[in-house]
Amino acid sequence: MAADGPPLFDVSRVATLASLSLDEAEAARFQNELATIVAYFAQLEQLDTRDVPATAHVQLDRLPVRADEVTPCLSRDQALAAAPSVEGGSFAVPTFVE
Amino acid sequence: MLHGVIDLGVIGIAERVRRGEITAEEVTAAALARIDAKNGVLNAFLHVAHDQALEQARAIDERRARGEPLGRMAGVPVGVKDAICTRGMPTTAGSKILAGYVPPYDAAVIERLRAADAVLIGKTNLDEFAMGSSTENSAFGPALNPWDTTRTPGGSSGGSAAAVAARLVPCALGSDTGGSIRQPASLTGTVGIKPTYGRVSRYGLIAFASSLDQIGPLAADVRGGARLLSVITGHDARDSTSLDVAPSDLEAACGLSLKGLRIGVPDEYFAEGLDPEVGDSVRAAIAALEQHGCVVRGVKLPHTRYALATYYVLATAEASSNLARFDGVRYGLRVEPRHDLRAMYGATRDAGFGAEAKRRILLGTFVLSAGYYDAYYLKAQRVRTLVRRDFDAAFREVDVLCSPASPTPAFRLGERVDDPLAMYLGDVYTLPASLAGVPAMSVPCAPTRSGLPVGLQIVARPLDEATMLAVAAACEAAFPCASPP
Repeated sequence: MAADGPPLFDVSRVATLASLSLDEAEAARFQNELATIVAYFAQLEQLDTRDVPATAHVQLDRLPVRADEVTPCLSRDQALAAAPSVEGGSFAVPTFVE
Repeated sequence: MLHGVIDLGVIGIAERVRRGEITAEEVTAAALARIDAKNGVLNAFLHVAHDQALEQARAIDERRARGEPLGRMAGVPVGVKDAICTRGMPTTAGSKILAGYVPPYDAAVIERLRAADAVLIGKTNLDEFAMGSSTENSAFGPALNPWDTTRTPGGSSGGSAAAVAARLVPCALGSDTGGSIRQPASLTGTVGIKPTYGRVSRYGLIAFASSLDQIGPLAADVRGGARLLSVITGHDARDSTSLDVAPSDLEAACGLSLKGLRIGVPDEYFAEGLDPEVGDSVRAAIAALEQHGCVVRGVKLPHTRYALATYYVLATAEASSNLARFDGVRYGLRVEPRHDLRAMYGATRDAGFGAEAKRRILLGTFVLSAGYYDAYYLKAQRVRTLVRRDFDAAFREVDVLCSPASPTPAFRLGERVDDPLAMYLGDVYTLPASLAGVPAMSVPCAPTRSGLPVGLQIVARPLDEATMLAVAAACEAAFPCASPP
């Protein structure tokens, strides 16, 4: 982290992106803890990886592909059974478009 | 110490139930009695399915009475890590955000267990969303280590490990993303197997880091673990990473000769930070394998020291994405401070997630965010390739790798909770095999002088669980599994 300028890891910016409403004490604690861990990640910079391909998944080359067919799934009632709020056979949420 | 019928182990119970020498109901009642006596202290189970388990057991006994053949897990009580969905039984992932959630469907592994006539006895404790190495991140209190209840059983599958170690059940399911089966197995003196990535369907496993997550067994003995693994293994079109490969006879593999087998011992796994007693115990186990005719040689896995940073970039990135689904809309907790959607998301997630889940969501969101993606996430994916290449190179020279599973024996509760990086460093020997997607397991070797369990980690080539289990069975013969006093 540079001595001046904004911190590399900015907890308030990241918490907004992650939809987490942290209180002030939490935000201060995570700012310190996670800045330390992000600094630890910097060791990866020591490695020259310009000619190294990325691994997103292991062994994808062996994976079978399934047929694109309609198969049975949960009923509407089953899918809604654990929802905190249901209206008119749908998941209910606060209004977000007027 | 004897615990009656549970001491018969997976195979001993299943074969006796199949022959009608004991009933599934007797076995289930014995397991429930052990759980009722011990779980108040150990907190290994978050939910005990008393009535459902006895019903399942009676149905199995009735089928036998009618002359129907029973499955390979006949009457065997199985603990299920509470990150695995069970129809009609609560599934919380150790999180307040899912408290009281009852899934409408079974995970693929649960379907397979039911089809094999296992008895689902209950749901075991874990670190919230399988994020942790001690179960101290469980929203429902930590599980304790039956060898010393001031210590952790490890994590994240610590409840499953504690339940097996205390012989509440002969086996349990865990899940392993960076060591969450092997490390608790090591700390509790149980057998813990992480299969090859793709061997076992994750359909119905609450996802943590999808490029790494794998379900596997914890068991009181190697052959019992082999049987449970063979039952849950197999292709499932509902998990797009599920491999369609021919199964091998894993129980027979436990009796294979090791003559001429080449064991590689990676120097990097015996470096700074290793408890000397753990090192001595693991070296003694490797020497015992040499007596079985194995050839032992040193190997290099030079990118080992980068595995921890690589793992915590990739796993947190995937976790931040997977945990985005917990938003208070379709299931679980909802907190609605005012009639506003974004405020509902933020308040629900702040109230529902514990500190470690939040840490990982924040880290993962950061490494995926604009301006940092290439420097952290893409970089870590490239280093992951280097870690995989280390294993590819080593397996050109040797058949398996042997090392400690954990650098220390079970640590005390509270010892690492205030230092996340210190907690992460405890996973240093299990993470590389996770990144490489290769099978790996922990099997008990000689305990420390104070009687704490130590695990030998065995790592094999992709899909070569058979050789790994053969080595584990030889280790078990030299250092028989014990159970705590």
